[in-house]
Amino acid sequence: MVVLSQPERPPASNDSALGWLRKNFFRSWSNALFTLAFGGFVVWALLSVVDWMLLDAVWRVANRDRCGHDAGACWAVIEDRWRLIFFGLYPYEEQWRSSLACLAITLTIVVSCVPAFWSARRLPVLWLAGLGIFFVLMHGGVAGLPVVTTEQWGGLSLTLFIFASVFLLGMPLAVLFALARRSSLPVIAMVTGGFIDIVRSLPLLTILFAAAVVIPILVPDWLQGSKLARVIVAFAVFFAAYQAEIIRAGLQSLSTGQEEAAQALGMPYWSVVVDILLPQAFRNTLPSTINQAVITFKETSIVTVIGFFEVMASGKAVIGTDEWGAQFIEIYVFLALVYFAFVFGLSRYGAWLERRMRVGHG
Amino acid sequence: MAEPAIIVEGLQKHYGAHHALRDISLTVAAGETVVVCGPSGSGKSTLIRCMNGLETYSEGRLRVLGHDVGDDLAELSAVRRRVGMVFQSFNLFPHLKVLENCVLPQIRSLRRSRADATIEAVKQLERMRVDIHADKYPDQISGGQKQRVALARSLCLHPEVMLFDEPTSALDPEMIAEVLDVMRGLAAQDMTILCVTHEMGFARSVADRVVFMADGRIVEIAPPESIFSHPRHKATRDFFNAMRA
Ligand SMILES: Nc1ncnc2c1ncn2[C@@H]1O[C@H](COP(=O)(O)OP(=O)(O)O)[C@@H](O)[C@H]1O
Ligand SMILES: [Mg+2]
Repeated sequence: MVVLSQPERPPASNDSALGWLRKNFFRSWSNALFTLAFGGFVVWALLSVVDWMLLDAVWRVANRDRCGHDAGACWAVIEDRWRLIFFGLYPYEEQWRSSLACLAITLTIVVSCVPAFWSARRLPVLWLAGLGIFFVLMHGGVAGLPVVTTEQWGGLSLTLFIFASVFLLGMPLAVLFALARRSSLPVIAMVTGGFIDIVRSLPLLTILFAAAVVIPILVPDWLQGSKLARVIVAFAVFFAAYQAEIIRAGLQSLSTGQEEAAQALGMPYWSVVVDILLPQAFRNTLPSTINQAVITFKETSIVTVIGFFEVMASGKAVIGTDEWGAQFIEIYVFLALVYFAFVFGLSRYGAWLERRMRVGHG
Repeated sequence: MAEPAIIVEGLQKHYGAHHALRDISLTVAAGETVVVCGPSGSGKSTLIRCMNGLETYSEGRLRVLGHDVGDDLAELSAVRRRVGMVFQSFNLFPHLKVLENCVLPQIRSLRRSRADATIEAVKQLERMRVDIHADKYPDQISGGQKQRVALARSLCLHPEVMLFDEPTSALDPEMIAEVLDVMRGLAAQDMTILCVTHEMGFARSVADRVVFMADGRIVEIAPPESIFSHPRHKATRDFFNAMRA
């Protein structure tokens, strides 16, 4: 074999790969030593994780006696309690509704990520439909579905609902804030600017507490809405304050010639904004916008503190029982994977969009 | 006789302490082609941008196509629908294809149907000889082609007056001719044109009158042959001598 293959030169890429390895990892004795030591550690760590997570893991509730002793991860807890984690306190018999609702929101998010749907007419219709379906499924009260009040909502569907509603309410609000802040009327610009700066200087927790606890004291009953609705509106305002600054930066990055050309062509103000300025501003600030979405998704877990049972709280509830109290690592790893799936999806999507906009255009 | 296309009387403009336009008076008859030139910073852009309200003025009177250009927004949008403008830096919309650059303003400004707007856009792109680029994005075509697309985009609205602010200054030399050519075509028809340019050959061949500005003032107005060969003012003479050198 060796003799036979000798006359052929190894492929060039192989050659350079070896060279690259030598140059970057084995440049000197100390360098080589470090590479070996660190490489060894990484391999050992990876093997241990695989061992723990997969090979030695206890998967089925039936085998749960083995949990704890020398075994690895005890995923039996997930099999036993996945419904609590995903659905929270949502009534057991109705949990199929919660899963369908999750699917509806996820599909809405995925579809609205497709550039073909980016028009001022399609996006709102899509989102109103998506959230409408979600609400009807979750809340019920029509078509023979028993009513499930928002206090009973929980788990992953609550997390997704909060995220989606905050984004849906917050984005138009952010556009309004950004436009108001660059208004030619100084009063409007200053008031908006002051408001944005105040909101940004308060912790999210304070704002949500105010919405959950203080508003009911100050505002008449009929105006209050449910606690969930208040929290979502407050969260959306918080999101909008940050997103507005991103949009404003995007608008500032455009040359004044864009607005002037559109004005000179007699296009009305709304059209100059909607057709010319905003699409370009969003394009130019895409990475920051995706980043803001990721932060917001992760921040939804904060609503636990004011008594909502979203996916993080549901996970903690599992650990809170005597039965599974020892499996807190498994629960947190599992929650991390759930968050990771969504956040990683979002950031890959952002990277794909950026590439697409650099190569193609639209 | 019909009202002149543009009437400027005693126009004053200040940028803070800087007096950018000093008592400008100028009348442009319908169908006339007027070239504006003068040293950099003399107020040419400011003057031409006042005509369609991109710039405000401090004092004076400005009537374009029978509309008072001022604070009245309805009048202003009427003027903008009837007056086209071409910029030095093209200002095409980079996120829209060439065809859409021409279609969208018609839909938004004149409320044309998309079908009619598309027919008109193709017609104007053909006229500017850039129809083969209709499906490209602005950053995929050359400067000369961009400027002709910008011109087509304006012409789609059938303007009665065209304003040009140094339309060839950002172009490589070999592309200047192709833009000046299509502008000559426009001047030969009954379009009213106010054009800031230093292309003296162009001015000589199409301008009815040349306006020379310096320090925010109109120094001299005369037909091209007389202003180029017998300028009456020293500033004008110095400027054209420098241009020729
Ligand atoms: N937005 C502005 N703010 C302050 N000064 C300005 C502004 N635009 C133009 N100017 C000043 O007004 C004068 C005339 O400018 P401009 O009309 O652009 O001259 P030109 O087009 O003849 O080169 C210049 O001195 C310029 O610095
Ligand atoms: Mg200028």
